[in-house]
Amino acid sequence: MLKLHGSAISHDATLMQRGLFIVTKKSELPRTIKSKYALLLDNYLNYEEGYGAYISFSEVKISNIKNYFYLPKEMDYLGEGDIIRIEPSGRINSLFRINSSHNTILLTEQCNHYCLMCSQPPKNIDDSWLMDDAMALLDLIPRETRNIGFSGGEPTLYGDHFIDLINKTKLILPNTTVDVLSNGRAFSDSIFTSKFAAINHFDCVLGIPIYSDDPARHDYVVQSKGAFDETILGILNLKKYQQKVEIRIVIHKQTIDRLVQTCEFIASNLLFVDHVALMGLEMMGFTRANLDQLWIDPFEYKDILSEAVDVLTCYGINTSVYNHQLCVINDDVLPNYKKSISDWKNEYVDQCDSCLKKSECGGFFSSSKMYRYSDHIKAII
Amino acid sequence: MEANLIFDANIYSIDAIKKACYRNINRFAVNISKEEDTINCNITFKNTVTESQIKIYLDDFMKEVLDQDLRESIKKETEGVRNLILAHTFSKTGLIKDE
Amino acid sequence: MSKFQPIEFYKNKKNEYSLLPFRFEPLSEVNYAVTNLVGEHLIIPRETLEDFVKHKLDSSSPHYINLRAKHFLVDDKTQIAKELLSIKLKTKYRVLSEFTGLHIFVVSLRCEHSCPYCQVSRQSDDKIKFDMSTDIADKSIDLALRSPSKNIKIEFQGGEPLLNFPLIKYIVNAAKSKQKEKNLSFVIATNLALITEEILLFCKQHGILISTSLDGPKDIHNLNRPRPGGNSYEKAVEGIQMVRAHLGIDAVSALMTTTKNSLGRVKEIIDEYLKFSFTGIFLRPLSPYGFALKTKTYSAYDANKWHDFYLEGLEYIIDLNKTGVKFREYYTSTILTKIFTSQEPGYVDLMSPSGIGIGAIVYNYDGLVYASDESRMLAEMGDTSFELGNVLTNSYEDIFLNPKLLDPIEESFAFSVPMCNDCAFETYCGADPVFHHAIYKDFVGRKPESEFCNRNMKIFKYLIERMDSEPYIKRLFMSWAQSNA
Ligand code: SF4
Ligand code: SF4
Repeated sequence: MLKLHGSAISHDATLMQRGLFIVTKKSELPRTIKSKYALLLDNYLNYEEGYGAYISFSEVKISNIKNYFYLPKEMDYLGEGDIIRIEPSGRINSLFRINSSHNTILLTEQCNHYCLMCSQPPKNIDDSWLMDDAMALLDLIPRETRNIGFSGGEPTLYGDHFIDLINKTKLILPNTTVDVLSNGRAFSDSIFTSKFAAINHFDCVLGIPIYSDDPARHDYVVQSKGAFDETILGILNLKKYQQKVEIRIVIHKQTIDRLVQTCEFIASNLLFVDHVALMGLEMMGFTRANLDQLWIDPFEYKDILSEAVDVLTCYGINTSVYNHQLCVINDDVLPNYKKSISDWKNEYVDQCDSCLKKSECGGFFSSSKMYRYSDHIKAII
Repeated sequence: MEANLIFDANIYSIDAIKKACYRNINRFAVNISKEEDTINCNITFKNTVTESQIKIYLDDFMKEVLDQDLRESIKKETEGVRNLILAHTFSKTGLIKDE
Repeated sequence: MSKFQPIEFYKNKKNEYSLLPFRFEPLSEVNYAVTNLVGEHLIIPRETLEDFVKHKLDSSSPHYINLRAKHFLVDDKTQIAKELLSIKLKTKYRVLSEFTGLHIFVVSLRCEHSCPYCQVSRQSDDKIKFDMSTDIADKSIDLALRSPSKNIKIEFQGGEPLLNFPLIKYIVNAAKSKQKEKNLSFVIATNLALITEEILLFCKQHGILISTSLDGPKDIHNLNRPRPGGNSYEKAVEGIQMVRAHLGIDAVSALMTTTKNSLGRVKEIIDEYLKFSFTGIFLRPLSPYGFALKTKTYSAYDANKWHDFYLEGLEYIIDLNKTGVKFREYYTSTILTKIFTSQEPGYVDLMSPSGIGIGAIVYNYDGLVYASDESRMLAEMGDTSFELGNVLTNSYEDIFLNPKLLDPIEESFAFSVPMCNDCAFETYCGADPVFHHAIYKDFVGRKPESEFCNRNMKIFKYLIERMDSEPYIKRLFMSWAQSNA
């Protein structure tokens, strides 16, 4: 697992405020753009004045470099083109990795849901600086980037600022597809939806969760009364304005019993959605605290998963199964099986060593590997 | 063959009984009359109908009256919302609140 | 964890709910089928139904949760049902404004077959009398192209349409050159006895599909369809292969006519369809029209026998699927599409408002226009109730605003017909004023006595109970509900 943030072991920061920098090893960049870059020092050899910051993973003992940050070894994956945030305190965050096909930008930790299995537990603090950073980040992201994601918290809590962000993304990264994770409730407001639609982004998908066809159950999972109706209304509005919607269902003990009915509900009421993602549970955040209420071994629900996929695909709905291991699903799910989204998060356990399907298998989130995974992991031979 | 059934007019509506009769039109003919508190059904069967069939027919008929009564309750309660939904279906805008 | 609320917190507090419009029908002593405004269904016990209607159903019972999720009730938890119902109704009714997709051109009434149940065709060489003229064809094309529907399908029928192949060619070319923004498609309904290489080349060039008849094994087929030489079956089989060799495997579909000869032999008939690699069969009820009604062939075997025939076939097909042979029954599929989706399959007999004139229209060889294929058969027997006009003398408006079309559509609309209006299966069913007029002399008929109603009611109940009994069947039926799965 990669360490996405860390603190400099030692630094000499004259930065007055946090800044975003593109990592580079190239000295001799034109003077006019140098300040956007953090020069990755190869000892002292490539040192040159004028860069926004200097970083290294082994200590470079030169005293007169301003804004020099000596970073922990775990972060040495950072390379040419990656984008980092440096705080005057010496805290470093990796915000954008050029070799990752799915970069997700956290916009806020605030949320109007409080999901039982939230991997990013909401905090009720003003973190609008995250939005400022996201806006700034857009200016640094290369134009060839295929996709970026925005997540939270609940990004739409920003209201019009959220619209501005997507609009800026469209203007500045005209060829980049966008995924937004949202609970969709903000779109129950037609005016907001019409503003969003007016951006006219060529490919911006809203990933919206529906956890049950039973409103009480959905509201329970997200811990918010009235959530179900607003989310459904939001989806209807988005579709009325021809926006792209993906429905996301996390499978756990509270959603499994009505998973098939929920898929039937989607098929009969929301047939027009662009994609449905059925996802395994990630062992992050609240999930661990609520494990008793949430954990069910994927092996135990594999027939239900097959049925759910069958219902959706039968209606012609684009369906994907994420975050599952090949040895705990039925073969009929294979056409919809996706190796996990993040190409650097997945890991494997001992049993996998002798497995013939390892290269096709998504494996585990590192959190699952550490915390809880199926008792039925078995090499496929 | 004939049979007589008496229903409490305070409980069942003439309409429900009529509808139940209609649904059994292929089995027998009914003459309905109403007094103060009763609705009387005078039922005539074809000659070819057997005793045991008659029993079944009458049984089914009474169940049908109960069902019609339920249907009446449903209709009474849902007529308004049904018209509302139909009206919205055939109008340009949806039911979405902030439009 | 105190910061999380238990599920009880999110359930509605007061046990208060309001009913949404729904209808029910008993399936058995215990169980009732309930359907909502858009035809979504559930099976619940009679007792639950009664509790539900009387507002005594407990909101934590599984039935309650199902009824709420399928939009039979609203409570303080959720009000979204009304919006969703309205959207689905909109989808369902949208097709009505897109009317008349199927245009049947009877290019010749002549036929070399002499099928006993067929009323319309003539064994004659009199082309002048029984073939459609180019004049009539031109006028008919103009009418067809005026339909609001974007997709116009022209089907050539007879008699045997291939006896007047030059006119088919003429119509295809003329329609193509006249059309502007329509998607045109063509089908020839033929017994294939007269199919030739030349005809198939033309079909290939214009993407014309073939619909033929296959009644089952040789003996049944030839008994049903006498022709000089007694080789209708051989001709059909040869023809099917020839069509496929030229146009591809899916270019030919087959239609079966059920007759007395078919009863008791449904498996053999299905096997015959499998033998020729068809992916489904339409187990059709015997039509009461034409010769059939006149000669009482119809009364000779009653509805029950057909029902057994159909059920045995359906069960056999289900078993086939279980063993991995993909095969469908199309009558069932039509109904399932209505049960599971908001689409309108457009099968004229099972449409309400009636599909006459809306789903299909017939331009007869002599210029007369009929509201459906059955309507012209009725006319041949002297009942001209559904004759809408003449292409030579009447305008589009004359024909489509003719009370002869509008009255039966309005009168028979099941939404308002006694018994249908409170029938749980009304959204799956049809109005079929032509059938009812043929048999009962009015557009509606009394449904408890109607053969149409009995037949369909039994099938609806059967299908709903059957899929409830076995998840596999529900999945299978769901897949049949989709047009191209
Ligand atoms: S054994 Fe490991 S690699 Fe193989 S399918 Fe299971 S989880 Fe995947
Ligand atoms: S015809 Fe019969 S089955 Fe069909 S809707 Fe009317 S009552 Fe119901």
